[in-house]
Amino acid sequence: MAASATALTLPLQQGEKRADDRELVRLSQNGTEAAFEELVRRHQQRVFALVAGILHRPDDVEDVAQQVFLKAYLGIKRFDQRAAFSTWLYKIAVNECWDYLRKRKVRPLVYEADLSEEQVSRLDGIVSSDRPPESASARTETREILERMLGALPEQDQQLLILKEIEGFSVQELAEILGLNVNTVKVRLFRARGRIMESYRRRLNTSGKGHASSAGSRKE
Amino acid sequence: MPRDTGFGNAACEKYEVLLEDYLNGELSGADAKSVAEHWQQCAGCRAALQHAAAGLRLLRAAEPSADPGAGFARIVMARIRAAESERASGRANFWQPFVSFGWRFAATATLALGVLVSYNAGLGHRLQPNVATARPTENIDIFAPEPARAPANGDEVLMMVADNSHAKF
Repeated sequence: MAASATALTLPLQQGEKRADDRELVRLSQNGTEAAFEELVRRHQQRVFALVAGILHRPDDVEDVAQQVFLKAYLGIKRFDQRAAFSTWLYKIAVNECWDYLRKRKVRPLVYEADLSEEQVSRLDGIVSSDRPPESASARTETREILERMLGALPEQDQQLLILKEIEGFSVQELAEILGLNVNTVKVRLFRARGRIMESYRRRLNTSGKGHASSAGSRKE
Repeated sequence: MPRDTGFGNAACEKYEVLLEDYLNGELSGADAKSVAEHWQQCAGCRAALQHAAAGLRLLRAAEPSADPGAGFARIVMARIRAAESERASGRANFWQPFVSFGWRFAATATLALGVLVSYNAGLGHRLQPNVATARPTENIDIFAPEPARAPANGDEVLMMVADNSHAKF
């Protein structure tokens, strides 16, 4: 593979707009290594998010994400650009995640465990005040608590909620990636959000706080 | 008709997609107004919408996955190069037995050819007439009588006798 970085950087620097994905894909198909590296840089965060949203195994995310880009590189000559590069790449990521889980004979890591009073208070504060935690560490801890609660939901609903609400994928993207109808995704999201709140209310009752109505009593 | 979910926040099935769009602020003015009028009158849709909105707040309070950083792309490219070279050596390994056989065949053929040439050269040397004893062709007198030689069999003896008798007359 001939690395012609200069051939790539010239149009990228001289043009007013950055080279779009289509152009980078075309260059990658012709063997320009720098073009594929740019594609990796552009999409690495989303691929990471997608893999993390499916696996729930932080230790394995990087390895699987690398494998996704390796597969994309090996298959890019066969990519006909009828779909967006991102959609094609995300489908590879989803397949890679399922392959990974199948080979390891594991399910996505979820644990539906009781929450401590402190954790319940934290969630209650978020639900009732509509003020998300500001620090990244508090938000990260909130994610861990939520992922535990999500264990009560079917796997696909967990993935939909994490990818849509936490990782920021659109309904359209999720429909394309997971091969579902757009309206199906919307209905599943709507129901899954209700279910996670029900799971949350059960935990509130278990922890003895008993003021779960804060979630349900707010007017929209 | 509200859907029975078993946990009390059933929405009307035909409104679920609209409620999802309404929750995400994706409905235009008239549609949003129509959905709002519905959920205000429908207890099931109202409860479902309130639950979904609370769930949305909870989920959006979570931290998204971090960007893996600038080093990730370099690691990926290094892994790609390693895979490429592994594939190339794999291809070489596949052809290695054929190449090896080809070389061995060529060496054997060359050796056999050499032996054959040497053998032919040696045999030819032995088959060559002795130049020192051979009569030069330019000194041959074609009119000279053939040198006498002993008859090989009875017929030749009779022929010689007949020739000699004929020569006397």
